[in-house]
Amino acid sequence: MSAICIENVSKSYGGKVKAVRDVTFSVEEGEVFGLVGPDGAGKSTLFNILTTLLLPDSGNIKMLGMDVIDDYKAVRQIIGYLPGTFSLYPDLSVQENLDFFAVMYKSSIAENMSIIEPIWKQISPFKDRKAGKLSGGMKQKLALCCALIHCPKVLFLDEPTTGVDPVSRKEFWDILKSIRKHGITVVVSTPYMDEATRCDRIAMIQEGKIIGINTPATFIENFKGKLYTFKSEDIFSLLNAMESCPLDCNYYPYGEHCHIAFYDDIATALPQFEKFLSDNNLQHDEIRAIAPSVEDCFIEIVQRDFSH
Amino acid sequence: MKELRMILKKEFIHIIRDKITLALVLAMPIALVLLFGFTISTDIRNAKISVLDQAKDSQSKLLVDKITASGYFQVVAYPENEVEIDNDFKNKGIKLAIIIPPHFEDKLSKEHTANLQVINDVSDLNVASILNNYVRAVVQGYTEEYNQDSQAGFDITTKMLYNPESSSVYMFVPGIITLIMVLVTALMSSITLAREKETGTMRMLLITPVKKIHIIIGKVIPYMAISFIGTIAILIISVTVFKMPINGSLLMLLILCIIFMLTSASFGLLISSISQTQVDAMMITMMGLFLPTVLLSGFLFPLNSMPMVFQVLANVFPAKWFILAIKDVMIKGSGIFDIWMYLLILLVMAVVFIIFSLTRLDKRN
Amino acid sequence: MYSIEANQLTKQFGEFTAVDHICFQVREGEIFGFLGANGAGKTTAIKMMSGLLLPTSGTATIAGYDILTQSKLIKKSIGYMSQKFSLYGDLTVFENMQLFGTIYGIPRRELKDRIMASLRELDMDKQANTLVDSIPLGWKQKLAFATAILHRPKIVFLDEPTSGVDPIVRREFWKLIYQAASKGVTILVTTHYMDEAEYCNRISIMAEGQIKLIGTPEELKQQMGVDTINDVFVKFVKR
Repeated sequence: MSAICIENVSKSYGGKVKAVRDVTFSVEEGEVFGLVGPDGAGKSTLFNILTTLLLPDSGNIKMLGMDVIDDYKAVRQIIGYLPGTFSLYPDLSVQENLDFFAVMYKSSIAENMSIIEPIWKQISPFKDRKAGKLSGGMKQKLALCCALIHCPKVLFLDEPTTGVDPVSRKEFWDILKSIRKHGITVVVSTPYMDEATRCDRIAMIQEGKIIGINTPATFIENFKGKLYTFKSEDIFSLLNAMESCPLDCNYYPYGEHCHIAFYDDIATALPQFEKFLSDNNLQHDEIRAIAPSVEDCFIEIVQRDFSH
Repeated sequence: MKELRMILKKEFIHIIRDKITLALVLAMPIALVLLFGFTISTDIRNAKISVLDQAKDSQSKLLVDKITASGYFQVVAYPENEVEIDNDFKNKGIKLAIIIPPHFEDKLSKEHTANLQVINDVSDLNVASILNNYVRAVVQGYTEEYNQDSQAGFDITTKMLYNPESSSVYMFVPGIITLIMVLVTALMSSITLAREKETGTMRMLLITPVKKIHIIIGKVIPYMAISFIGTIAILIISVTVFKMPINGSLLMLLILCIIFMLTSASFGLLISSISQTQVDAMMITMMGLFLPTVLLSGFLFPLNSMPMVFQVLANVFPAKWFILAIKDVMIKGSGIFDIWMYLLILLVMAVVFIIFSLTRLDKRN
Repeated sequence: MYSIEANQLTKQFGEFTAVDHICFQVREGEIFGFLGANGAGKTTAIKMMSGLLLPTSGTATIAGYDILTQSKLIKKSIGYMSQKFSLYGDLTVFENMQLFGTIYGIPRRELKDRIMASLRELDMDKQANTLVDSIPLGWKQKLAFATAILHRPKIVFLDEPTSGVDPIVRREFWKLIYQAASKGVTILVTTHYMDEAEYCNRISIMAEGQIKLIGTPEELKQQMGVDTINDVFVKFVKR
């Protein structure tokens, strides 16, 4: 059974800006589902709709058989929500915040200790500190504790790692791994493409539309172009030069590497490209074929308009 | 019930940990009442007046002498008729005019009563009411002397044309109580609710199964409590420092205050339900509630001298009804049977505001 | 000649040392990646270097000016852009650039031409009269950058300029950074995207207020014996 079924959901603000456009997908029970896309793509609006805080203009949503729009009170009992911005009481201590939300959910800390324990262990040394005085990472962990305090069946995490350094991000994903052991369905949004591979399935979202849903592995399998990588001393002058390249290809910097995806016949494209580089006096090392990453897939789908 | 207790606890923590606001909210009533009290009760000396003596007999002359001798007044004109009085107000800057009726002495000796007319310039209400009291005191002294001499029992009534309700210096105490309660309950409750919206904690609250009415009660009770403390402080200062009488029952007065606080707090919720940020809430409270309370409650400016539009508009704001009621209780000594109408109006307003806020709180579109 | 030269720069807030005796130099036209975990002291250091905050001890020269005594001159010769505050949403694109251009004292006559030239470069000249709120985030960030360099500063501080921006626009943004650097503008940039760290000429990694590692991406990878800057970062913080 699907944990969440979303059908043809649309939402616009002030009749003008279409924040979410005709979105349809489903999330399976117990999976970690990633909503990947840049800021302003509609992730937060979709989250607000799924967490019953916002009514869509049209469409249906079922969560574990309940109607999110009509039966929102029941839905609220089974969801946990970690908003994108820190939304706890800064003048209450860590312990007071947790106690407060436990009572609001008619639950208690002791009851669900097994779920929050791995996180609680890390923040309990600061339990008398005011929440507003915690560091960013600690705030996030406290917020996660509060979202889990009633043992929700579905957990929504709105950009939990945005603006967080790579190490804290890794820690956060390790915590998520421990949460899913309790059978909690997790829906998480992120602008970081590299995090997508840690999800069971991902939906790429751009300008309010879902431009692809699949497992990360399937996305990579479905990559249409032939992807090559090489190193160059000056990847950005190369970027300028590529504007005059006659080949049907996608070129972009990728960390210290340059990525190029060919859409022409590869047997002729690669030699033509090498000739183009040498004609333009562009230095490079060996051009190797590589497997695409989720980020490569996103770039391909957006730039070549392969969305379905 | 456990949820409500927890919400109240949380609200009180907010109040107690915000030391600056707490100090402000507690000190403000005392500062305001002292400020108003001392500035308003300043003595006025040698106020310009004119006297229209239609009797011109020995008793009327005696009265005028008394008035002049009091030191409060300086008679600058003796007009011949009422039209001239008007001119004196405009041209000679008199603050007050006294009209002594024809056959003053005869009336006193035969009918044992006479009507003195006092005409006020109410452009400055406070000065006018102080001068009225002075006139009354002088006339009182004159009456006592006259009665001693002639052994005849009678009194003189003064009549204030522009201000028939006879507003007293003590008018400011009910006014201050109103302002404090509006400021503390409405402003604080609207700001704290708007703050929860602004910081996103309201979303966290809304997605919990907690009842909306509990959230609302949590925003109302704590600020009512704080403002209740302020009200008690004002009353104590008024009675001890300014000798303000409380003619009605103290219990009635407190019940009335509590009901008004409820109305103010629910008005605050109404405001926060239409504002998104704390700044919005503050601006709307100031412009939409505080200003009308000052201007349209009859506290500083008498309502019946205002254009009809404002008189009608005043009915919408709870302060008008509260001031009517509290004046009745404190000055006239009225009880529940006299003011139940006002109480009912305030309660109905509170219920309407709360219901409206409830529907707006979890607005999902 | 160095554009940025920090010498034992230190900032204490009470007992807490936010920035602890940092020393580093950035050459003119260099793209310098200023990395570190949240709370490592990057923002405090940038505030001191841009003349917004006085150091507790130590000093720095920015574009040849002393941060202790010449903060006004520093403010004129730097540009600043952060993800949190960039442009006013209720002003149009043109009005925003006009506002900041005027603040930085660009002559009126020249201002309009400079703005239009800059917008043409971004291919945004048609959006000159659009409200900033109604353009997509990625474009907003590119626009904010163009605004930050409108007065032709010698140094630009970029505080997480690409946070939350999609992968394509992020690359376009970096193209702008490269263009500016090739014209001799010194860039100091913070980011949590480790692939972007690879685009920098040199990077430093801060922790506990100190600069723990500094060098070219290549040098740091060799030093830590790993393949990517992400691994450098993870390995370094774990250590």
